[in-house]
Amino acid sequence: MARPMTWSAPAEIDVDDGPDHRVGPGDHNARMPFRVLSHTAETGIEATANTLGELIGELCAGMFGLIGSAEPSSARKWVEVKVVAQAVEELVVDTLSELLYHSEVENLIFCAFRVSTDPGNLAVRVKAGGVLVGAVEPVGPPIKAVTYHDLVVEQRKDVWYGRVYFDV
Amino acid sequence: MEYRRISDVVWELPATNGMAVPGRIFASEALMELVRSERASDQVGNVAHLPGIVKASFAMPDIHWGYGFPIGGVAATAINEGGVVSPGGVGFDICCGVRLLASNFTEADFDSHKDAVMGNLDWRIPRGLGKGAIAEARLVPDVLARGAAAALDAGYGWEDDLEKCEEKGTSVGADPSVISDRAVERGRGQLGSLGAGNHFLEIQVVDEIHDSEAARAFGLAEGMLVVMLHCGSRGLGHQTCTDQLRVMGPAMGRYDIALPDRQLACVPVDTPEGREYLGAMAASANFAWANRHILAHAAREAFADAFGVSPRATGMSLVFDVAHNLAKIETHEVGGRPKELCVHRKGATRAFGPGHPDLPEDLVAVGQPVLVPGSMGTASWVLRGVNDNPAFASAAHGAGRVMSRKMAKKKESGHQVREQLQARGISVRAGSIGLLSEEAPYAYKDVDEVADVCARAGLAAKVARLRPVGVVKG
Repeated sequence: MARPMTWSAPAEIDVDDGPDHRVGPGDHNARMPFRVLSHTAETGIEATANTLGELIGELCAGMFGLIGSAEPSSARKWVEVKVVAQAVEELVVDTLSELLYHSEVENLIFCAFRVSTDPGNLAVRVKAGGVLVGAVEPVGPPIKAVTYHDLVVEQRKDVWYGRVYFDV
Repeated sequence: MEYRRISDVVWELPATNGMAVPGRIFASEALMELVRSERASDQVGNVAHLPGIVKASFAMPDIHWGYGFPIGGVAATAINEGGVVSPGGVGFDICCGVRLLASNFTEADFDSHKDAVMGNLDWRIPRGLGKGAIAEARLVPDVLARGAAAALDAGYGWEDDLEKCEEKGTSVGADPSVISDRAVERGRGQLGSLGAGNHFLEIQVVDEIHDSEAARAFGLAEGMLVVMLHCGSRGLGHQTCTDQLRVMGPAMGRYDIALPDRQLACVPVDTPEGREYLGAMAASANFAWANRHILAHAAREAFADAFGVSPRATGMSLVFDVAHNLAKIETHEVGGRPKELCVHRKGATRAFGPGHPDLPEDLVAVGQPVLVPGSMGTASWVLRGVNDNPAFASAAHGAGRVMSRKMAKKKESGHQVREQLQARGISVRAGSIGLLSEEAPYAYKDVDEVADVCARAGLAAKVARLRPVGVVKG
């Protein structure tokens, strides 16, 4: 495993409700926080990052940021998930799905993330810190599941780009 | 994708670019304009690629953009011709559906007991994020095997409820052994809970009767207070669909299946993976039938407490319970011959016409009740199934969203929406006021037009229009 990075959910979410924002090959000079994508019934996020591990951290923060907003420093309980996949798309979907499972059974909203990936980028370990659901004011409906619809996880020149839609 | 109008309310996308059948949307001109403004119409075309699909990839009048399938999508595949089953054609909320209860009360009765009724429902109906459940976790294994019948044996609901439930509240072929421990774990704390998002419990008044014979058969009368519930299989169903998609993705390669959207992942029905999915889906559906059964029990107790009568004296008998997220093995005529099909309804309601053998005896003459909830500020509809339905006995399942949640929240705050509803005489109990505006009436299409198109297209016939007077949301 590579050196872990710490990732935290931002207090404010960058919301885009106009046409879907797309990050092109030339737009990657700085790390972009996740953005919320417009969808009639469901919801989605996209993010760019320098590494796959950072991208997964952003997407984790984005997914739970859609449900409730909590300061990373308020994390009281930590959960660790390890995922191995055959492809980066599955790695992202499975990691987010694992965290959703833990969120529901542990009654937690995760707000802080430590992400490590292996050099081959097909294994990830996430330590997620959360607060009890009752301590968080909801900002959106609970997420039922992570979908494969319009899923993108790819390296574009020297940045990683990810787009994920959720069933809510 | 270019759709052409082929009749009053039918729009067709010819079968091109690998589509096995045409796409067909039931919509008025105005509803079709809304469909064109988003990607749902493309999704109808994508579904037309499913192996074994017959007749057409259909979309109901409340169609909107989903994931894989459009919401409102109906697709039938011929099992003996390599037809597939797709979890995306059912969705994560397996057997999400609607239950309608009649009552002995009127709007005047509700007005005089409003605070007591709403207060009772507020604390008796678990909802929202992490808010608990009515039934004990130990019931879950039996519920997965037997559905609403298990809940009945545990003391919830009334004996005659099962007869008025699609599949009598127990899905055929349920295989609890293929439900993962994780799915069970998610379901253990949620049996008898509403959830959030577009799920609700509403108190409504029968506002208009359009078919008095059918209304009588359904137990509805003008001015009657009724209760409508909308929810599904909760985390257990969500996890089951997630688990099954993990199996199906790699399996597609083994069956040489390639599709335009990975969320359409599928395998032939008659394969180990296909059979496992249908067994898991049916067990999850059993959780959903039981969930709505238990919530209805709590609603009856809430009314009984508020009015100081016994639950039986409330007259809150079950009108019907319908699912709108399921895949079912049904026989339909295709090309003049009966065929065994796997009918996927993703945001669409089964709508059997008069004479169908699966209907309860007292509904055989009029057809199956079809419940079409609208938005919390407008109306809902009770329709009935008709014969010669052009889309495998399917009809709409709701008004259909027209605005994203973020856009809806930007337009008005939850407090504004609540004030407007209350100004129109609609009481509101929301788990989170901040989220109320995501479900505001303006975020949905005109449910009256959806019901009208259903009738004009021969999908279902109008029976009664229901007007909301109380809303309980997650």
